[in-house]
Amino acid sequence: MATHELLNPQDHAHLRLLPRQGAEPHFVQIVPGEFVSAAVACPVLFSKDPATGAFYAGAALGLKPGEGALKSTQDRGGFEPLALQRDGFFIAEDRIAIDRSNPRFSETEGEPLFDSAQQPSTALRRIQRALRHLHEGIAQTAALVRELMDLKLIEPIDISLSFDNGERLTLEGLYTVSRDALRDLPDADVLRLFRTGHLQLAYAMTGSLNQLPVLAHLRNRRLADSR
Amino acid sequence: MVQAVRRIVIVGGGTAGWLAAGVIAAKHRSRIPASFSVTLVESPNTPIIGVGEGTWPTLRTTLSRIGVSETEMFRKCDAAFKQGAWFARWTTGAKDDGYYHPLMLPQSFSHINLVPHWLARDDGRSFCDTVCPQGRICDDGLAPKTIATAEFEAVANYAYHLDAGKFAPFLQQHCCEKLGVRHVLADVRRVHLKENGDIRSLETEQAGEIEGDLFVDCTGFKALLIGETLGVPFVDCSDVLFCDTALAVQVPYETETSPIASHTISTAQSAGWIWDIGLPTRRGVGHVFSSRHISVDDAERELRTYIGPAGKDLPFRKIPIRSGHRQIFWKRNCVAIGLSAGFLEPLEASAIVLIEMSAKLVAEQMPVCREVMDVIAARFNNTTEYRWGRIIDFLKLHYALTQRDDSAFWRDNRLPETIPERLQHLMLLWRYQSPWYHDEFDRIEEVFPAASYQYVLYGMGFRTEVEPQIVAGSANNAERAMRENIAQTEKLRAGLPRHRDLIRKIVQHGLQPV
Repeated sequence: MATHELLNPQDHAHLRLLPRQGAEPHFVQIVPGEFVSAAVACPVLFSKDPATGAFYAGAALGLKPGEGALKSTQDRGGFEPLALQRDGFFIAEDRIAIDRSNPRFSETEGEPLFDSAQQPSTALRRIQRALRHLHEGIAQTAALVRELMDLKLIEPIDISLSFDNGERLTLEGLYTVSRDALRDLPDADVLRLFRTGHLQLAYAMTGSLNQLPVLAHLRNRRLADSR
Repeated sequence: MVQAVRRIVIVGGGTAGWLAAGVIAAKHRSRIPASFSVTLVESPNTPIIGVGEGTWPTLRTTLSRIGVSETEMFRKCDAAFKQGAWFARWTTGAKDDGYYHPLMLPQSFSHINLVPHWLARDDGRSFCDTVCPQGRICDDGLAPKTIATAEFEAVANYAYHLDAGKFAPFLQQHCCEKLGVRHVLADVRRVHLKENGDIRSLETEQAGEIEGDLFVDCTGFKALLIGETLGVPFVDCSDVLFCDTALAVQVPYETETSPIASHTISTAQSAGWIWDIGLPTRRGVGHVFSSRHISVDDAERELRTYIGPAGKDLPFRKIPIRSGHRQIFWKRNCVAIGLSAGFLEPLEASAIVLIEMSAKLVAEQMPVCREVMDVIAARFNNTTEYRWGRIIDFLKLHYALTQRDDSAFWRDNRLPETIPERLQHLMLLWRYQSPWYHDEFDRIEEVFPAASYQYVLYGMGFRTEVEPQIVAGSANNAERAMRENIAQTEKLRAGLPRHRDLIRKIVQHGLQPV
């Protein structure tokens, strides 16, 4: 049961922060600022918010719900999604709220959130930065999606993978940037896309699809190891 | 020197006129305005009839080709989803008598005909529930897709219920702003003919003379060009389809959150039937009946009984209907689309689908010059007459299969002399072989697919002889398809949102184009 509290140095003077606990989700929301570092390690795709149908960007850390990530943070070149970094912390209006039931909070272990002068500690400042980047990134994602949609560059992608144990995984509800449509863009649109920085993001996404067979290979190996 | 066809003039601005304008202009978009023009002349004074609010899934393709946004249609036309029709009391007239005609095809329809297998099982489950999930989805009041499904794409096949009075202006705006259709608000005073009998121009009250190479008559029942001007006779079919009058009413919902049916409800009465169509804003309800079999007063009483207390003080609109169609639909340089071409009772929502098909045929086969127009016209007439014939057959099938004996209307409907010969032959054939895929239907773009005939036949208790050996040969495949259907039914029932909730979300958030 989530119990949200507004973070403040009076109530939380003794609160400490542990590393994130539990398995990583197989698909995690990311923002444009993370695309390039994410794309070298895992597929970057669009999906739709089931409540509104709006597009959001995400990184596939694994291939199947409940199975977690297939690469460690180290194998991902240190890429740690902001959404995971800030686990347990939320933005509430212009303040920070925390979920006290999150197991990374402790009164005894971990780094303190506030220093003796009631100022945010290094650990908390890192979280604040992650929240700020995420917050700004959501608006950047919306702008990216808008421009890609206007140019009809987003297309659904059906990913169907077969594994050595005979299992077949079909990943549905995912979207990418169409390489063909990108190549066919008129020069003026290419230039505009380049100037907004969206061209690089688009190519990061298309290139990241090469990570799909890599993840599939890792999963195959994991299946073999567990036999 | 050939006489090029470059100026298309559509007369009439209802659903037919604007759909035709949209379909033709979208198809010839690259030629507009340099070498092609589409002009729609509409009287500023004539009210739009707004034929039926039910449509077929073809409308999704048509609208997406025209280039409109499905989200905008939901926002501006009070649209709702339609996943088929529920026919109540058509077979025996008993209180619990009813069946679905859904829009999804039976499982694995192109691979296997499940009818003989269903008949052989005889396990008490309806044909619809045995072969497709859509009846259950409708029972649950669920939508055929989710907010994450792209525009015009379906999880379960669907069409729309919409407010025709809002649909025409919606199309008009798109046609004029995006497709380069010229809109002229003017009353046609006279129609000028050439010496050869072709239409040369329209003389209008407010906009002078309008010349054209091809005229599309969308003037509704008036049939200004095809009927009044060119004298093409009307072929009456009230000897087959008896209904000649409709009483229509708009019924408000009890509350803003009342569920919306995602199928048309058609309930048989003593001398006709009542349609019930759910829009987000209201229900459109009406009684279609044969005035030869029931008085208007009695028909009104039956309608008030159906609606109950909610309809107490609501005003009914009486609409005379004349079942039938033009003898030909394209004469000289004039083609009729919509009510000017003909009208049939809205039992299977055939009006708008026929408009789409006719407009598509005109757009795709657009004669390059006058010299070849008669060839195209003959082709168009042949195809269109076939389509009207098949619609009449299919509507009549609903009546011919009834077992009701409680009134002269139902008894008369079974008299062999009221059943078209072709349909009689098919009904004989179907006693021994069930309709399937392309067996009986030789044309591409049939108005009603073989699956529709299956749903109506076996929904209404029709029996086809089944040879045990034939069933045994494909029993495993049939078993698999039926199991697949159970799995798909459970998956869809668990994953689809409630109909009203999805419409609210579409209006609020919109559907994505991909």
